[in-house]
Amino acid sequence: MGGNPYQPLPVRIERVTVENEARDLKSFDLRFVNQGERERWQFLPGQFAFLSIAGVGEAPFGIASAPDEELLKFTVKRVGAFTTALHEMEEGAIIGLRGPFGSAYPWTLMQGRDVLIVSGGFSFTTLRAVIVHILKKENRPNYGRLVVVYGARTPGELLYKEELRAWKTNPELELVLCADRVCGGELFGFEGANQGEGKDAVQEGLVPEILKGVKIEADKAVALVCGPPIMLRFTHPVLKEMGFKPEQVFLSLENRMKCGIGKCGHCNIGPKYVCKDGPVFCYEELLRLPEDY
Amino acid sequence: MKVFLKNEDLKKLLARFVQEGRLFAPVRRCGYSGWDRVSSVDEVVLSREQAILQGEEVNTREPAKIFVFPRSETLFEFEGEEAVETGEIPELVVFGLRPCDGRAMAFLERFFVGNGPEDPRVRQRREKVTLIGVACNSPADSCFCTAVGGGPHENKGLDVLLREVAGGFLGEAVTSKGEELLTGFPEATAQQDAEAEKLKANAEATLALKIDLNRLKAALDNGFASPIWERLTLECVNCGACTFLCPTCHCFDVFDETVRGRKRRSRIWDSCQFTLYSQHASGHNPRLNPAARYRNRVMDKFKYTVDMLGEVSCVGCGRCVRVCPAGIDIRVAVAEILKEAAQDGR
Repeated sequence: MGGNPYQPLPVRIERVTVENEARDLKSFDLRFVNQGERERWQFLPGQFAFLSIAGVGEAPFGIASAPDEELLKFTVKRVGAFTTALHEMEEGAIIGLRGPFGSAYPWTLMQGRDVLIVSGGFSFTTLRAVIVHILKKENRPNYGRLVVVYGARTPGELLYKEELRAWKTNPELELVLCADRVCGGELFGFEGANQGEGKDAVQEGLVPEILKGVKIEADKAVALVCGPPIMLRFTHPVLKEMGFKPEQVFLSLENRMKCGIGKCGHCNIGPKYVCKDGPVFCYEELLRLPEDY
Repeated sequence: MKVFLKNEDLKKLLARFVQEGRLFAPVRRCGYSGWDRVSSVDEVVLSREQAILQGEEVNTREPAKIFVFPRSETLFEFEGEEAVETGEIPELVVFGLRPCDGRAMAFLERFFVGNGPEDPRVRQRREKVTLIGVACNSPADSCFCTAVGGGPHENKGLDVLLREVAGGFLGEAVTSKGEELLTGFPEATAQQDAEAEKLKANAEATLALKIDLNRLKAALDNGFASPIWERLTLECVNCGACTFLCPTCHCFDVFDETVRGRKRRSRIWDSCQFTLYSQHASGHNPRLNPAARYRNRVMDKFKYTVDMLGEVSCVGCGRCVRVCPAGIDIRVAVAEILKEAAQDGR
């Protein structure tokens, strides 16, 4: 990183993709304005960075691209002043980027093990980076099975639909998609639950329920879990039932934060800062921390 | 080596910094002792002890942390989308901060600079400021530095410690910056040294409160779910004064502004006592009520920074006790927590 950790580097928006039916999630693919900065900008999936617009502000987002992808990808939900301003930006615009910050998923621990990904809603971003990273030809032999359970409210709310469809037929991973209601899935190229042959394209059901149908040998696996608090609450008991110990479950948290380097105070959970000690935490550690997140 | 500075000598020394326009000291302009740039050395209250006798407060209302971590500051400006450094950090001399504030400076330096990625602005500010502390011979009723590991004549975090004795001050250099400042002054006599030690003992004797910090830590380790936090904060009005005036509170918000057509990114003090402080983008808020927020503050001072850095971050300056409009007293909170733990057999 070096220099002043508060100063963003300029990046150009190469591509903007509207990701969902509600049109409040957009992906921004970014390229460094100054060549050479991309090589210095090393990260692993799970880490995050701040996006910045001069005169508007900045906010933290998980990195949705894998380390070897040329462009950096961020998927942003429009919720406040900054994200609204970002959503209004077009391809070619210059914004700022600072990071990468925080901890990555447990890549060393994951070596040689099956990887189970459980995700709900738009938390899927850094997990997309995990999938792309593992699927890379050189990396794939280093991991066992890659099992993904990903759900959203409706099929239209699933992120990265084109990739999801490609992964559906890719033998290198087992992808289970689900939605609270599947009605209308075919509008997005998915088949609903009631359509015979492609019955499993998008299953109807909540993530924890669908997860129960997944067969995986827990003692050989690591689980990466991301989602809203309500999903997490119902997912933990299922993982326990499947045989996962808290040491094998990793979560990514999203507290409010301002600095990214453990100084501004906002994101603390007890004596830990989500920006510096997280955002990826082992569930075993979270159980020892106060419920302040 | 301890040196002796006659009152006139100290005045001369400070006058040099006044002339250079870089002396800050407690002045009475705002009706209480607040920090300001000194424009004439006569404004400087040399003998705080005499001022106290005349009804002046023992310590400044605002902590000396403003010299390394100001209320608000510009982090950088934008030229297009490029960030450019701005605002040369000035060389300052601060006279008259108390040992509690010195200790707080040491904490802030450790937190911002010696703890993971450094905050360059705090480091630069600390490098460019010379801290001349003055020991307390008459602590206030709300002071409790000795209960949290400090002392009224402690020199930690300062460049120079001055201890008032008859006719002048005993000077003690803490850093090389301090040594430079005190070069050329005569060595203090044994009597002067003895006098300072006696004044120190007298001051310590007035600081009666004792806190068993290890027991307190253990009580807090198990105290997150205690009902005590609700009870302690029934009167809290969420004003945040306890955090803004705390010499070790370090939280800030980052925001953008445009001034005369120049865009810039700035930071400003923030407080964990505010609801929005911890509110997620989704609307979820882990600390919705004053009890949860006050708990975070007390936990941070006596447990979290101990877990993180191995030290308590309350320096016992008593400001939060003095300024709370609802009369919430951290000493009472600590006593109640210890009492509850004892009752529960913890």
